This record gives sequence, structure tokens and C-alpha cells, in this order.
Amino acid sequence: MTTARDTIVDALDIESFLLCESEKEAKELIAQLMQSLGLARHVIVSLDFNGPGAHFRVRAYMNKPGDNYTWLQK
Amino acid sequence: MKILLAPLDPVHDAGLKLIKRKLEVLGYECILLPPDITVEEIGEAALAEKTEMIFVGRTVGYGVEQLFQRVKEVLTRQGVFGKIRVAIGGMAVNDELAKSLGFEAGYGPHTRIEEIHALIERNPELALHITHPVKEKPVFPFPHDYEVKIPETKTYLDQIVDGILDWVADKTSPGVRRAQITEAQLQDVHGSVENYTALPFTPDYLAQCDQSVADFFQKNICPPSVRQITQDEVTAYLRRIDIAKKNFHPRVLQHERKKPLVFVQYGTGCPMMDGMHIKVSESWGADGVLHFDPAWGARTEGLLDGFLTNAEDGTPVTYANLSLIKRSLDRATLWTVRAHRGLNTPEIAVLSGFLGADLTKINIGYGSICGGTDPARLTVDGVEAMRIAARYKMAFDIPTNEELAGVPPHKAFAGMLIMAQLGRRLGAKPILKPLLCHGPFIMVQGLMEQNYVDYNFAKIRALQTIADFPIWPGEPIGFMTHDEEKVKSAATTALHAALCASLGVDAVTTASTDEAFSRGPITSAGRAGALHGIEETFRFFGETDIAPGVRVKDWTEKLILEINQTLKAVAAAPSFVEALYAGILGNKEDGVYPGRAGKNSVVSLTPPKNLGRWDLHPVAVRKKPLARAKPARSAATAARRCR
Repeated sequence: MTTARDTIVDALDIESFLLCESEKEAKELIAQLMQSLGLARHVIVSLDFNGPGAHFRVRAYMNKPGDNYTWLQK
Repeated sequence: MKILLAPLDPVHDAGLKLIKRKLEVLGYECILLPPDITVEEIGEAALAEKTEMIFVGRTVGYGVEQLFQRVKEVLTRQGVFGKIRVAIGGMAVNDELAKSLGFEAGYGPHTRIEEIHALIERNPELALHITHPVKEKPVFPFPHDYEVKIPETKTYLDQIVDGILDWVADKTSPGVRRAQITEAQLQDVHGSVENYTALPFTPDYLAQCDQSVADFFQKNICPPSVRQITQDEVTAYLRRIDIAKKNFHPRVLQHERKKPLVFVQYGTGCPMMDGMHIKVSESWGADGVLHFDPAWGARTEGLLDGFLTNAEDGTPVTYANLSLIKRSLDRATLWTVRAHRGLNTPEIAVLSGFLGADLTKINIGYGSICGGTDPARLTVDGVEAMRIAARYKMAFDIPTNEELAGVPPHKAFAGMLIMAQLGRRLGAKPILKPLLCHGPFIMVQGLMEQNYVDYNFAKIRALQTIADFPIWPGEPIGFMTHDEEKVKSAATTALHAALCASLGVDAVTTASTDEAFSRGPITSAGRAGALHGIEETFRFFGETDIAPGVRVKDWTEKLILEINQTLKAVAAAPSFVEALYAGILGNKEDGVYPGRAGKNSVVSLTPPKNLGRWDLHPVAVRKKPLARAKPARSAATAARRCR
């Protein structure tokens, strides 16, 4: 059975703004967030901390080039 | 037909005014009610005026569903709904919402008048070119006379080209030989990607290859990071591609100007992932795509075969991989396969031409001082590749990404012009590919501290002043101005594209919004994001030009002078090859050096005295260093990313 997740061509990006007091804290919170979403393998694409918190985009690759792509499974 | 246009906002009725003007041009009689009316007044007006259709507009988005439910109730009560056709529109309206409420249609903010016209006439054909645009493959490159306009420049170029052709006349290489073998074998290839049979590589071919290629064919050993794609995967992939083609309605990025065309470079490592990126790029408006191969492929004698995926950057060039990608392309998409920089240059040109590529990529100078290939070898192979390109009617572009290593633009441009004149002499259609970048030389000299416009302006103006060749900035535009933040990245790409449009160039190669992100592969969403940016920027500027700053004129003149000085120095060298070894087109202090791959592999074809066939002898290239044309300039070597 194909899930919505299987249809993602390559990666799922999440972009948001979180309240924090440092870039380090932002990174820890992003890791927590992704863990809670079941996306432990992730990479921060951009992170801009200033004032109230951090504007970030984090990426979880579902299919990398050369993988056995989920979107090719029946 | 009489149509009633009714705004349900206290003040906002611009959308309906616009529709009124356009419908009247089409011959409809329109009555526009004033803003700040009640729903009851709309029904009363429709009945009084005996209109055949009503468009109700609501700009403000909140509560729109409840509002239109009430509109339907009131109009039903008045006997209007069901008797007179009613459509709705607004910022928060779409066709799905409208139909769920029982209206005939719903229109959002990007609706075109053709769609409304089609609804009124109940004739979808009237909007088909908007809702289902069909792109035709453009004849590219666009017409140019390919004339060098500055006599001094032309004299140097012709002298250098004469020298190159003389130099290669009695030489060949394993790369040239393989291209000949492959071309002969291709005539006998039958089958398809659905049932692929490997090319019949012969011992004669393998004798011209590195051991790793022989191991692949004879022992089935793949290079590290490469795996073979199964036929089941290919079959499943082709099903996906067929679905994508069925739902394909390509965007058109260009607005008032019909150029530049927009190209996207792919080379994720895997031809199937490439295919998906290509379908995304085509759908979001790309006019063409470029195939990038892995760096190791350029430094290996011989090509592999079969469906192969590489876990790192660059998709292996094989007959099967290129066939799979070709099968994925829309018929309107221009296809480029780069051949230019390595030991397989002529053979890749043969495969590309045979498989119907529209363009290839060849630059002997760049490939040998920045791409890692021995200058003598690449000169022999590059000339052969240009001949092949001409034979298959493939135009070829001439990249100048040596700027990313620190080579000053005038040296890169001098090399590019030599290639262009050489290509022209060989009957091909060369395309100049200057790099619009914030490269190391430009950084060190501070040429873009005020803006990214003026120096790029000068670069293009200098080339346009020197000759009338097609110009296609890449690869990609805005290199080293990108940021990991996607909006910044899309913005700089789009603004560079707008600058290129203003400069009247023929095409651009765009980055994705992942251009500056180096901790993982580029994503398909990143491709769409950059194309969105370009579409909006082309719409924003239309035919309006970006004006050059006051420094552009001086910079343009300086560039032309320096290009001519460089060409003069190359022309004065014993040969073009020795000019490359000597660093006239870029040296170690610029951040580049002659490549070593294929060193001593050029062989001389000299007629022996007493034998009936020609013999092969290794060619010795003089090692004596030449005097440099100019004092070397300091240049940063950081961020070297030669492609």
C-alpha cells in the first residue's frame, strides 16, 4: 500500500519560525521536532537566528539518488 | 449577451472593472454595479436588466464560504438562481468551492480572461492555450551572423584557429578511436529502453579503455558509488513518466520578451531521479535541460554501459542512461549533453548526436586547465568533438567556469572566443557561455561591491561588441551569489535572469534554490522554486530594461582590450596547446593548471616511408616554459567548483 510519504520524490522540507534564545537552542529544538515527527534523519538547510527566535528550514530525505525509490514501489 | 458584474465588497471592485473592460473588447454588453450593495440588489438588477449571466466578486477572503451560501439563498428566493447563470470570483475563491456551493464556476486571482470567455461561451477550446498550453521546441540557437566585428580580434582568432587545425591534422587519440568504434556500432543497435541489450563492445574498444572499464564489461565490477538499475525499476519508472506526461501542462516563463530561454542542469547521479527533476522543471517552465556527468567519468578512458546510478553528483553517461533520459523528455524540451572536459569528449558527442541531443558542450581551454584533462589530448579530442557536433547538427556551448577557480574573465573569454571561431570554422554552431558570477577574481578586485549588475553588464556588452555569436550565460547564473535561504536564492537567480533578459541574451541556465546547500542532493522542489522566481521576475520587468551604471562603459572597453592582449599572446605562442601549458589562458596563480588525465596519450599519424599504412607514434609536447603574456594577477582559489 502506497502511503503519502512514499510519493515524495526526494525530500520533505519543513520551514517555520521557533522561539528560542540562541542558534544552539534552535538546533536542539529542531532535532527534537524532527524526532517527534519520526524524521530522525534530517539536515538543517537554513537557519537564521535573530531577536525572538530562528527562521529555519529543515529537510528529511525520503529518497536520495541511487536509492530504491519508494515512488517506484507498487 | 448582457452580463451583470456585481462586487460584494465595500470598496474593492477592481477585478470586475478589469473583466468588464476585457469582456467589452470581446463584444459583450456589461453592467457593473457599484460597490457596497446588498445581495438582494444584485438579484433585482439582474432581473431588471434581463442579463443572461452574473459574475459576483468578493475580494476579501474571510467568511467567503458563508457569504456565497447566502448569495445563493437570496438569488434562489428571488427566482434568479437557476434561471440566470451565476459564477463567483475573488482572492479566496476557486472552482472547487464554487461548484460545491452550486455555482457554475469560481475564479481565483490568477484567472485569465480567456477562461472567463470560455465559460461564457461554454467552449473550453477558447482557453485551451491558457489551461493546456502546448510548447513547441524552439529553433535554437536563435539566428546570428557569427561574425567577429573587431578586425584585430578576428586576425588573432583566425591565426590561432589555423594553428590548432594544423596541429591536430596528424594526430589522434584513444578517445577519437573509441568514438569511431562506437559510431560504427551504433548503426547496428536495435531494441528499446523497455528491453535493453547492452552495446556490443568489442576487444578493439576495450583495448582503448582503462582497466576499470574493462573490469566493468568483463568482470561486472562497478566503480565505487555506482550500481546497476534493474529492468524492473526501469519498467516502474517508465510507468511514472507516462503518468507525468499525461498530466503535463507546461508553464511558459517568458512574458513580453521571447528570450532568454531557460535551461536547468540535472545530474543527480541517477537517470530516474534526473527524469523526475526534468519533468518538474519542464512543468514549471524550463525550455531545456543539461546533462552533467560525474567527474570520474571525465578522467576515465572509456564509457560504461547499461542503466547505472551513481550515489554522488553527476549521472554516468551511458547509451542506456541517455536513452532513458531522452525517453523522459517532452518533445519541446531542448536537450544538452556535456562532452567538453574529459577523456571521452568525442565519444559523448557521438552518443549525444546519435540519440538526438540538440546541443552539446565543448571547451578545450576550460577542460584542460580546470577540468583535469591534458591540453594536448583535449585539443585533439575537442576538435574531433566539434566535427562530430557539426555532423549531427548539434550546436555546442562553451562554458567558462574557470572563472570559479579564479581565472580573470578576459582570459576565460579569450579562450571561449577561440573555441567559438574554431567551431565556426568546423561548420558547427558555437554558443558563448559567459559565467555571471561573484567569482574569486571579481571578489578580490572588488568589482561587485556596489552591485551585481554593472560588471555582469560589462562582460556581456564586451562579448556583444566583439562578435555576433549566441550568448547563453550559465552555469548557473548568479553563481556564488546564492544563499541557503531559499527566497534569497530564488531572488538572486531570478534577478540575474532578468538582467540577462535586459541584455538580450539567447538563454540562461538557472540554479535551483538548493544551489548554496551542499550537505545533500538538490531537490525537485528547489527546481520549481527557482523557476517560480524567474516567472515572476520576467512578468515584473516585461520589456523594461535594466540600465547600466556609469562604470560599465570603462569596464567594457577594458575587457575588450585585455581579451585582445590575451589573444595576441596566444597567437604568438608556438601553438595553442603550448599556450595552454604556459598558462596564457589561466595559470596556477589564477588558480588553475594543466590537467594530467590523458597525458602522453596523443599519437601522431605519420606516413611511414616504406609501409602502406600510417603508423602511430606518441607525441612529445615541448616542456619549455613560455613567457607569460602578462604579469600574473593574484586571485583567490577558494570555492573552486569547476563544472
